[in-house]
Amino acid sequence: MNSAIELSGLGWKADRSFSLRDISLRVPVGSIYGFLGPNGSGKTTTIRMCMGMMKPDHGEIRVLGMDVPRDMPRILAKVGYVPERPHVYPALTVAEQVRYHASFFKPWDEGWARELMERLGLDPTWKISRMSKGETGKLLLLLALSQRPSLLVLDEPTDGLDPVVRRDVLTAVLDYVGETNATVFVSSHLVHELERICDWVGVMDDGALVAELPMQVFKNGIKRIKVAGAPVEPADAPFTILSRDQANGSPAVETWVVRGWQDSMRAWFESSGAVLRDIVDLDLEDGFVELLRSSRPRTPHRS
Amino acid sequence: MYQPMLFLHWKQIKVVLLPLVVAAFALPLLSIQGLGSWGSFPHETISAYQFTMNSAFWAPVFPALAAVTGITLALSSWNWDHQLHHVYALSLPLRRWQYAALKMGAGTVLALLPAASFWAGAHLAAASVALPAGLNAYPNALTVRFLASIMASYALLFALAAGTVRTTMIVVTGLLAFMLVGGTAGDLLGNHFEAFQRVDVVGTFLRALVSRNGPFEVFSGSWLLIDV
Repeated sequence: MNSAIELSGLGWKADRSFSLRDISLRVPVGSIYGFLGPNGSGKTTTIRMCMGMMKPDHGEIRVLGMDVPRDMPRILAKVGYVPERPHVYPALTVAEQVRYHASFFKPWDEGWARELMERLGLDPTWKISRMSKGETGKLLLLLALSQRPSLLVLDEPTDGLDPVVRRDVLTAVLDYVGETNATVFVSSHLVHELERICDWVGVMDDGALVAELPMQVFKNGIKRIKVAGAPVEPADAPFTILSRDQANGSPAVETWVVRGWQDSMRAWFESSGAVLRDIVDLDLEDGFVELLRSSRPRTPHRS
Repeated sequence: MYQPMLFLHWKQIKVVLLPLVVAAFALPLLSIQGLGSWGSFPHETISAYQFTMNSAFWAPVFPALAAVTGITLALSSWNWDHQLHHVYALSLPLRRWQYAALKMGAGTVLALLPAASFWAGAHLAAASVALPAGLNAYPNALTVRFLASIMASYALLFALAAGTVRTTMIVVTGLLAFMLVGGTAGDLLGNHFEAFQRVDVVGTFLRALVSRNGPFEVFSGSWLLIDV
């Protein structure tokens, strides 16, 4: 088994306004895979399908080498899931919820659950209905991690949390991964957050996966470059042009945002009769925004 | 798994179930008020007719309490999961039928509480009155009927509530539509065609539910604590 999650040709239609379109992705075993995308792009729907909570119209889903939905109970026994919204029983106390959850998971790590409770500052006597969003988020993470899962599926785990809680949550995840080499599939619309922890990234937009690549390539390969005498149709460019605008209103100089850039590609400009004036590294957020812009119908400048 | 599920259901329902448990205990005692309980009235003065009339007066209240208890148990079984859109429940490593079976089992055990309370109340009530010759008290039989009625209404509502709100609405709307359309169409046809005057589709359906071998037969039998 090389992939912790493998989706092929996944499709689902909610209504006229939203559908998932032919999503194929692969989450390598042992990786931390960031599932990026703006709100409403289909991240949660895709995750729920991976968790067997929704049925796709077509396509195949395999999680930890097993088939969804056929092998769902066996899959869920090895997956720690933190949903987008707090889905725990509000009338229970922290200790009651932990006890309830533990009874369903055989490899439950009681010692670590206690340690996490202390580290995350959760009081076992607290009633869940009176807990803040951050505290409930920490409880959900505690439940997921104490199962000792092979795969952690985190759906916007830090959305709406303050920076301190966000750091606590991410640290707990990274500690667990460091110790167990588990795979993490984490969705977020907070690009900077994933930048620090992920080694793979998949980008969703409007129900489609618009990019899937190693984080290093995503981070380093997106540049803003200034080009003088740019060819009208750069059809043989060795990189992907995400956007193309005139620089400072001058028709002779253009600003390109490109993906998949490597230094060796400078030679291409000479061979195409253009002059490369400037190369600027884009941060991940700018790259993400440009990627989304390029994937949307109005700016299809792809080589 | 079962014990935490039972605890969860208990936690959900205890506020509502405890009054029902008290009511189940009190109802048999209420039903014998004025029948010489604890020797306050000389039993010779109370005729067998009065005993049976009094029992018959209270008889409809027992199945009503059983139905309310069963419905309450069923709705509380799924209430929290509906509130959480079943996301948490579906993330547990169980087949859905296993999860439903655990919930059903937890509700069944909780149904024993009002039944036990009813049994105690019925026995106390039976022991508190001196019965005229020819009459007997049936606390055990009535308790079995009470428990069976709780379970019948619990099972039906549990199955209904287990589905999505949409499914439940379809079933309930379908039933109401059947009763409304069936009743109205029966009346209209009966007014115009003699052959339809004796046809009562809705009545036949309802009678089939509570008649012998019907799923709710238990509601329609004898509910007398004191009978011949």
